[in-house]
Amino acid sequence: MRAIFKRELQAYFYTAHAYVFMGVFLMLGSVFFAVGNLASLSGDYPAFLWNMSYLWMLLTPVLTMHAYAGERKARTDQLLFTSPVSLTGVVLGKYLAACAVLLLTVALSLVYLLVVALYGRVYPGETLCCYLGFVLMGCAFLALDMYISARARTPVTAAVWAFGVNLLLWLTDVLSGAVNNKLAASALGFISPYMRYAPFQLGQLSYANILYFLAATALLLFLTVRALDARRWREA
Amino acid sequence: MLSLKGVTKRYGDTVAADDVSFTAERGQVLGLLGQNGAGKTTILSIMTGYLAPTAGTVTVDGHDMLAEPRQARRQLGYLPEVPPLYDEMTVRAALGFACELKMVVRADIPAHVAEIAAQTGLGDMLPRRIGNLSKGYRQRVGLAQALCGDPELLVLDEPTSGLDPRQTAEFRDTLAQLAKGRTVVFSSHILSEVQALCDRVIILHHGRIVCDSGLKRLQSGGGTRLRADILGEDKALLPALRGLPGVQRVTRLPSPGKGQLSVLLECGEAPVQPALFTLLTGMNAPLMRLQPVENTLEEIFLRVTSEG
Repeated sequence: MRAIFKRELQAYFYTAHAYVFMGVFLMLGSVFFAVGNLASLSGDYPAFLWNMSYLWMLLTPVLTMHAYAGERKARTDQLLFTSPVSLTGVVLGKYLAACAVLLLTVALSLVYLLVVALYGRVYPGETLCCYLGFVLMGCAFLALDMYISARARTPVTAAVWAFGVNLLLWLTDVLSGAVNNKLAASALGFISPYMRYAPFQLGQLSYANILYFLAATALLLFLTVRALDARRWREA
Repeated sequence: MLSLKGVTKRYGDTVAADDVSFTAERGQVLGLLGQNGAGKTTILSIMTGYLAPTAGTVTVDGHDMLAEPRQARRQLGYLPEVPPLYDEMTVRAALGFACELKMVVRADIPAHVAEIAAQTGLGDMLPRRIGNLSKGYRQRVGLAQALCGDPELLVLDEPTSGLDPRQTAEFRDTLAQLAKGRTVVFSSHILSEVQALCDRVIILHHGRIVCDSGLKRLQSGGGTRLRADILGEDKALLPALRGLPGVQRVTRLPSPGKGQLSVLLECGEAPVQPALFTLLTGMNAPLMRLQPVENTLEEIFLRVTSEG
């Protein structure tokens, strides 16, 4: 697993993927910060992170599209899947490498917090809580898009499917407020990662919501292992 | 070292491998021959654990590929038809990564990489990026990756495919060196390559084994074939040769000169030369040339695949 993690992390930086991910994240983050905080002289950092959370939906496919679909297309997966490393080791190695890029990107975003701290007021507990939810949601999106990459045949289809499914998850948030059926609304609300993230933004540390993100991540990683294993039985 | 029992792979209605069984002993070089689509790559993929069989088992050094994949794969080095290479990595990094995957002790990796690079002629290429290498060197890096961890079983899928004649010859020499002391299974549709490298040949046709034999035995065809050039009249000689004890078949060949008969005698295991000399002396027909003829692999291949 360690070898896979190291190679994947290096690959993100040897290729354009990490730079695209970080560059677009910080560029759009700067726009949100300039418009939402600087122009309006607002120190509302949770609101800034809420806007930033929509970027996961857009950007996590950049990190995951090559994870399995790219390897499958280049046939480099034959090296991994005929080596003595277990499928779980491969999946965890790749996932943790993507998480490391995400965490590094989040660390760079602390520059915005520094500006708020210099010219306004930062509430450490609330900010920490926001960041926890923000990172948990990003990591859950990574797990989802990794699973989609494991099912896709090419990186482009992996990216398009991942973006589509991410968008659908955002729509669950919108739809849960729009449907009349109470059961459907509560089911959509249960699924929606944005509704799960909302309490973090308010500074409410909810174990149920932490568990939701952790359980969703674990389930999706398990499904990724199963999808890769199933491929051995039916691949043509 | 390697054992396949009843390996079958189906994709819907298509049977890519049909009840394939064979074993390869330690130190044996085994060539898997077959036309395109015969099932060679499928069998190799199953052998290495990349694909799972629909039915049957694969064991490597006594370890079942599905039940004990880690132990089985530790003994195995695989070079697929398209070498699995990360273009952004240097050769040194790629070999280091392959060593880590094969559980080579971390402290031993630099020395192991240097040794493999020397064996495969990559010594000067270690700092180069794989994406900038020629096809021949990429193939060598693929082979070097397969050698990481010093596996006892090497599985190579069409290892010289796409190489120019010079690269092919060099690659074959490298393979011949590396095969010493290892079990090697490789697939090819280049018959001369199999002839040059293998002790044993398995011919696949439509996913089934249609021939499994040692190369020498295969080439002798289980008997003797002799070309005889005889000075004399064919009308008298041909029936006499056909009636000779031990001769199973007589085929007339183009005559080498006026008044000469040239024939191919297909005989059993027992020597027919004494009876032949006696016959020709009695018929006053001097024997100008008598030469043993081996079955070419091409002939065997065409025969068994057309029968199949």
